[in-house]
Amino acid sequence: MNGESKATYQEMSPSVILHGDSGLIAAAHELKAPLALIRQLAFLMEDETITIDQKKRMAMQTRLAAEKALRLTTDLTKVARLEDALFQLEPVNPAAICEDVAKELDEYFAAHGKKLTVQQSRSLPLVIAHHDLLRRILVTFSDNALQYGGEEVRLSIKKNSRSIRIAVRDYGPMLSPKDFTAIKRKLMTPQPVHARPQSSGLGLYIAGQFAHIMQGTIGMTRHRDGVSFYVDMNASTQLQLL
Amino acid sequence: MISLQGKKVVVVEDDTWYGEHLLRILQGEGVTCALADHPAKAIDLIDEMQPDAIILDMLLTGSTGFVLLHELQSHSDLASIPVIVCTTILDSLQMKHLEPYGVKRALDKTTMHPEDIAVALRGVFI
Repeated sequence: MNGESKATYQEMSPSVILHGDSGLIAAAHELKAPLALIRQLAFLMEDETITIDQKKRMAMQTRLAAEKALRLTTDLTKVARLEDALFQLEPVNPAAICEDVAKELDEYFAAHGKKLTVQQSRSLPLVIAHHDLLRRILVTFSDNALQYGGEEVRLSIKKNSRSIRIAVRDYGPMLSPKDFTAIKRKLMTPQPVHARPQSSGLGLYIAGQFAHIMQGTIGMTRHRDGVSFYVDMNASTQLQLL
Repeated sequence: MISLQGKKVVVVEDDTWYGEHLLRILQGEGVTCALADHPAKAIDLIDEMQPDAIILDMLLTGSTGFVLLHELQSHSDLASIPVIVCTTILDSLQMKHLEPYGVKRALDKTTMHPEDIAVALRGVFI
């Protein structure tokens, strides 16, 4: 094999190396996968030889793939309006949001043979956040964990000194230091498509933007058997004032 | 028309639903096939099955198809297995860059029809 004749993926895709409107191109690529799947499923459902059960399963997959694409487009719309819109922050219960997310994604996870659970915690303070933005961050992390993780993905809440960490932990194969660094970079900026494994990291970038508007930060921790993505939010002092 | 009956194919696709439908199409053609959702699993399957061809998505969870292509080329017994790329980023790839890796056909997921996968597979066995 002549190594000189080969090009890396990065070298051979200059058209997708992004210089300006990276978010737009990343979004377009991110949407291609669910749309390609939906299109394929539509073809297959036209096949008269498939059984009713197969057709039902394909219809369910079509709906869930469409919902995934719609989540991304909704998040993109929100990001575009972040500067203009007023997102009022208030004390919210992170445990309730985790439960909401687990419920919202239950069917999606089950359809992939996986389970999203919430680790119960007691006596945790509320966090200062916007309910919908925080929920969307956790949906994004969970969706990401579905791709990377093992059969179980777990939402958990932990109190640090002045903040509350809400984490989504997966139990997939250990990330190499190189992949870990690459994904961490995606938390900061939407990456050009050449840099992505599986996804552009657009969802993680959006999650970072949502956290920023709520004075929170996102990050990730590598474990021997998986990864945790987390958002650190300011704890509400509401109860202490009572 | 070349029969695909009895041929062995490994499908490397991290979108398990997409992979599931590729398997259904191939099985309908009499192909013995298995799905790997990441390159490491693919290598194990390829070692085990010694497939006649590999269908490869390029954007994989935690990796890219190039990792697998490099790996295949580094093993003399695997380097000659024909590869069909099936990806959403075909417009960003050039066949002349893929061919040295043993890629014989490339399919665009955004425009392909279900039967295209069998047509491409027959093409590599001519």
